[in-house]
Amino acid sequence: MTAVDDTTTPGADTGAVDAVPPEGVTVLADLRSHLRKSKAGISGIFICSLFALVAIVGPWLPFIKDPAKQSLPDKLTPPVGWGGTWTHPLGTDQLGRDILARLVDGARISLLVGLAAVVIAAILGTALGLIAGYVGGRIDTLIISAADVQMAFPGVLAGLILVAAFGPSVWLVIVVIAISSWMVFTRVGRSLVLTLKTSLFVEASELSGAPSTRVMWRHLLPNLVSSLITLCVLELAAAILSESAFAFLGFGVQPPRSSWGLMIQQGRNYITDGWWIVTFAGLAISIVVLGVNLLSLWLQSFNDVAEREQIILERPGG
Amino acid sequence: MLRWLARRIIAAALVVFVVTSLVFVVTHVFTDPATVSLPLEASQEDRASRRAALGLDRPLSVQYWDFVSGLVVGDLGESFWQTQPASKLVFERLPATLKLVGGATAVTVLLAAPMGMLAAWWERRFADHAVLGFSMASISAPPFWIGYLLIIVFAVQLGWVPTFGSRGFVSLILPSFAIGLASAGRLAQMTRRGIVEELRKPYAVTALSRGFSRSYTIVHHTFRNVASGFVTMTGWELTRMFTGYTVVIEVVFAWPGVGRLAIHAIENRDLILVQAAVVVLATLVVVTNLLVDIARRMIDPRVELA
Repeated sequence: MTAVDDTTTPGADTGAVDAVPPEGVTVLADLRSHLRKSKAGISGIFICSLFALVAIVGPWLPFIKDPAKQSLPDKLTPPVGWGGTWTHPLGTDQLGRDILARLVDGARISLLVGLAAVVIAAILGTALGLIAGYVGGRIDTLIISAADVQMAFPGVLAGLILVAAFGPSVWLVIVVIAISSWMVFTRVGRSLVLTLKTSLFVEASELSGAPSTRVMWRHLLPNLVSSLITLCVLELAAAILSESAFAFLGFGVQPPRSSWGLMIQQGRNYITDGWWIVTFAGLAISIVVLGVNLLSLWLQSFNDVAEREQIILERPGG
Repeated sequence: MLRWLARRIIAAALVVFVVTSLVFVVTHVFTDPATVSLPLEASQEDRASRRAALGLDRPLSVQYWDFVSGLVVGDLGESFWQTQPASKLVFERLPATLKLVGGATAVTVLLAAPMGMLAAWWERRFADHAVLGFSMASISAPPFWIGYLLIIVFAVQLGWVPTFGSRGFVSLILPSFAIGLASAGRLAQMTRRGIVEELRKPYAVTALSRGFSRSYTIVHHTFRNVASGFVTMTGWELTRMFTGYTVVIEVVFAWPGVGRLAIHAIENRDLILVQAAVVVLATLVVVTNLLVDIARRMIDPRVELA
């Protein structure tokens, strides 16, 4: 069976040339030249890589202090420019811990949770979308109704009930964010498959006897990748914001571990005499989400998703 | 129209049924309200007697039937934190949440429609870029952080409005903006895009070539055609508000709504009350979706009879 597939695949793939350039190199070159013209793309990539770098190597940077070290005499020191010194450039919190060090420390959880949730949602959602679109029939109806129900039961509600039932944890937050975002991938993936299904290259592959799993994996999935990556970036922005909201409500990371949302929760009683705790933590979230949003703006303009956007925005009948 | 409406209402009821059943599975199959209410170190006997007292030792099918038939008549169980009917507690708090969502929607619509029109009017000029900047900033900042910034600036520093609680109209302003800004940012971009697209269509070009000003054409010709999408998106933002934003913003502003009630219920290990709040909020989402569909059909009869 494999032999048959291998002989037919090259022929089948030529049919796909119109839909997607076969060499990744061309796409990358296009992407790069498009990036040079886009201020949004450049700033987005810059911000995202900066924060990713900080999350990875941050704790080992020489000027970053121990985020857990308390020093009560130094508590609520204002940042530089508001009467503080360079010992604590962004000031200290109610326990005298260095804000900058805590921001660097919190970056990991804040970014990792969002990333993990989006990866899970993308894999699960795309798989379901492929199956729904390609197999069709009752399975399609079932999957698409599940997606519609999920749309009516958004993440925070699921989060409330699950946290009430099982208690707070980081894993629960990842699961909750993933289940509130999978259907976006399913809907987009499905609608793309529905249009691709009638293409010659899919028909050719089917006629040559390729099993449906192979058609989905080898022929349909590669054509979805660029749209799905754009969607991933868009969902990542939402996921990071959700993580911060859950952490703020106390559903996620528990002290002594920290994330930006949790810093806001802990600093909120000090907004009169320590506005910098809440302000800088929120600023960190906003800047990283802005970076991701700029990146997604640029990717969207690159593979013009006016049509796809319509699909995302279009709500289901609830 | 009537048949369409009937079908939509049945579909909506079905979604409510499925969602509430899922909630039941989480609260009664994976765990149960008695276990949640007791501390981890509680003895087996304590657990068993609490389960019996709450009727949780009966077969699941019986419990499920109780749950569903209770839902139909509006009985959402008894809260053991407050020792009152959960539905009474939730419905007492509902007006505050609705007020908040109303205020936020007003902020959203009043900001988004003019900003979208301005951006389209001065396409690719300063106003357009300024609106894009506002949109990017507002959708990137967490709403609860915007809430604290507003408190720091307008309540703590300037002292113009009360910081917390619900004391009349004035205290509604800050939370409404905290929720509404992000929605306004998204909606303004959508409006701008819609109008710019419409302005390239023949009817708009005709209007412009007949000497109508760009602003007149936008307000009287193109905006009407964008209105259907505008209503749909506003409804979508409403559902976001009911579920996500209000819960967090109610905590920030100590607003006595359903979301904050749910958070307090979690803190007090009261699963029945959380369940009641979630069921009511999810139903609100479904009802909002239904109303939006109806409004869209009334504005634009071309909308498919799906």
